[in-house]
Amino acid sequence: MDFDAIVVGSGISGGWAAKELTKAGLKVLMIERGREIRHQQDYDTEMKAPWEMPFRGEGDAALYEREYPVQMLNRHFNEFTQGHFVNDAQNPYQTTPETQFTWFRSYQLGGRSLTWGRQCYRWSDYDFAANARDGHGTDWPIRYADLAPWYDKVESFVGVSGAKEGLKQLPDGQFQPPMALNVVEQHTREAIAARWPDRCLTVGRTANLTQAKEEEGRAPCQYRSICARGCSYGAYFSTQSSTLPAAMATGNLTVITDAVVEAVDYDPATRRATGVRYIDTKTRTRKSATARLVFLNAGAFNSVHVLLNSATEAMPQGLANSSGVLGTHIMDHANTLSAAAIMPGFDAHTSFGNRPTGIVIPRYRNMETLDGVGHTRGFSFQGGALQSTWTQGKRMEGIGADYKNTLHRPGPWRMVLVAFADCVPRASNRLTLDRSKTDANGLPQLKIEFAFGAEEHAALAQAKAEAAEMLTAAGGQVIMGFDRPGAGGTAIHEMGGARMGNDPATSVLNKWSQAHDVANLFVTDGAQMSSSACQNPSLTYMALTARAADAAVGMLREGKI
Amino acid sequence: MADKTAGAWQRREFMAGLALFGAALGASLGPADEALAAARRKAARLAPHQALMRDVAQLVIPRTGTAGAGEVGAGTFVLLALDHGLDGTRKPLPDALRADPAVAAFARPDGSLDHASWLAAELAKRAGRPFAVATPAQRQSALAALDHDAFAKVPAAQPWHPIKNLILTGYYTSEIGGSKELNYELVPGRWDPDVPVTPTTRSYSSDWTAIDFG
Repeated sequence: MDFDAIVVGSGISGGWAAKELTKAGLKVLMIERGREIRHQQDYDTEMKAPWEMPFRGEGDAALYEREYPVQMLNRHFNEFTQGHFVNDAQNPYQTTPETQFTWFRSYQLGGRSLTWGRQCYRWSDYDFAANARDGHGTDWPIRYADLAPWYDKVESFVGVSGAKEGLKQLPDGQFQPPMALNVVEQHTREAIAARWPDRCLTVGRTANLTQAKEEEGRAPCQYRSICARGCSYGAYFSTQSSTLPAAMATGNLTVITDAVVEAVDYDPATRRATGVRYIDTKTRTRKSATARLVFLNAGAFNSVHVLLNSATEAMPQGLANSSGVLGTHIMDHANTLSAAAIMPGFDAHTSFGNRPTGIVIPRYRNMETLDGVGHTRGFSFQGGALQSTWTQGKRMEGIGADYKNTLHRPGPWRMVLVAFADCVPRASNRLTLDRSKTDANGLPQLKIEFAFGAEEHAALAQAKAEAAEMLTAAGGQVIMGFDRPGAGGTAIHEMGGARMGNDPATSVLNKWSQAHDVANLFVTDGAQMSSSACQNPSLTYMALTARAADAAVGMLREGKI
Repeated sequence: MADKTAGAWQRREFMAGLALFGAALGASLGPADEALAAARRKAARLAPHQALMRDVAQLVIPRTGTAGAGEVGAGTFVLLALDHGLDGTRKPLPDALRADPAVAAFARPDGSLDHASWLAAELAKRAGRPFAVATPAQRQSALAALDHDAFAKVPAAQPWHPIKNLILTGYYTSEIGGSKELNYELVPGRWDPDVPVTPTTRSYSSDWTAIDFG
């Protein structure tokens, strides 16, 4: 099989690569390791009620302990969504003895675009200049101005609802109308702004439509907030709802599922990638495809896996790894519940519908002045205000009619602030291949070595103190808060490993997400990230992918690659 | 309504017939029959505590304007959930509880607690006689005392927490508990950020964020 381009992976960035390359007229092969899931046909549990499920939506804990011990820790993993997560027992990975890392994965057509949190935030120059400013990692070869038009493009297509706030640290974008804050969040926004004018609580900018995109067959959000089951309304952005139909409509896309790419083929004579080798997991046979361009979009860690596993005599440390930094400087946001509070005074108010996003308080530290205590970067908060429902009964003494009648009514308002802190890139946080341990396909398992450091701990300590301060200022009674990060991977923002940089001696990719060593190889998922910022990263992956696809097509047409 | 009832009867008869058919054919059965046999074995294993769990569930969530938890099958759900370790019930007992003979007596070889047997013994001790033959008043006061002790952090009463939690889950994820006692709206279709609370306002069992974090 011969194509103009091969895209490895069908998740958020792979879908974008396929769409942009096919729209440019290239014949594209998209290879997905997992099963096919068809939009509007294969979301098996989407419309089920808890009483229609064998374990009422909670799932079979015994099965989860055996086969999903990592995925079961994901907040979106339950009996309705378990089919959208990997079976850990069948997809093992290794960690070093000191490492705690929960690697949440979705091996299926659409990848994690089906299960993602949908938060869409632009990065700013505080983020792209962070490495240059404090000396951690290597400087990004791009700045906000390089990416701004691509953010415009992807936001318009994705459909992002949100409020423009005019913040330098969280630039406004092409937004659909925002979802409203509830009454407690609105009050808290005002209380915080009155005391700290530089702190802004706003509704989450989310890839859930508030206006239909009829030309794409997508309806507005129905306010169910069960997105990870799959959404037949197409109301949130996923590969299935958005990029895949656009790419298919060109007539230029071929999709293969149940096919794990084991390596990128490389010709040392031309110094070009020539295609990929893959394993058909249904027949356990090895196959290959050739192309003029290869885009790796397998998810940050798996794209690194493919490159490390593509080592040859010509490139013994792994493909595109003359620098030796491939696999290093991996990151994930340090993530914890900074504060939870009871919010009295709103018992006369409730809400209707399930808004599929919370709130965000963008970073306000270490901007014009370095005012972080023990850290030089940012942290931000997400969360929201909600009313308790029947599960509050688990914390209440009582049996009988009065107890039942209490649970009949909406419970007290509570508000939570969850911190996401910038993770400093460190060479010691890295991925390697464990060739002594293989998976079911005979491929070496990925080994993760990861620890947070003093910077992240200091940021979360400050976040905890300030979250409590803000909720208290809004009249809340803080009942708990933490300053220790969850295990690596908790934020599900694992990234890095094939970082971008100006210098081929210290980075894997150039400013076009193009391998320094292999001109027709592009890595446009989370692996390319040189720093983490504290925003959810998917929107930036999409913008970088669209930008890289445009650059690659230009180079191809000019005969440069 | 009549149709529904008739349908339910037909289904039940069909299942019963299927069971007899399976029993007649014996061991040389296909996968579906084996699954049915496994389900029967499981039901037999859970059966001894069915009545206890149904009655306890009904005391926690009794009939008011809607049916109670025992009536809607929450007790059966609790036994299934305990069998599969929901709410951490198949994890080994913590040291503090293993040191208590009244609890440790019901530990399994793997270190986890047989919650249902523990509950039967605990309630019998508190009621002064087996729960099955206790008076309604004895049942009520035994269970209320156990619930009180559990929330007063009395160590030996702690296994009550997961049982109570599973009763709540069994009830509020049932069709009656979830959609009659509370509201259930799978497709709200809109977001109203500020709605006045009235005397008839009910909580939503379909408020998934509240279920997780409320």
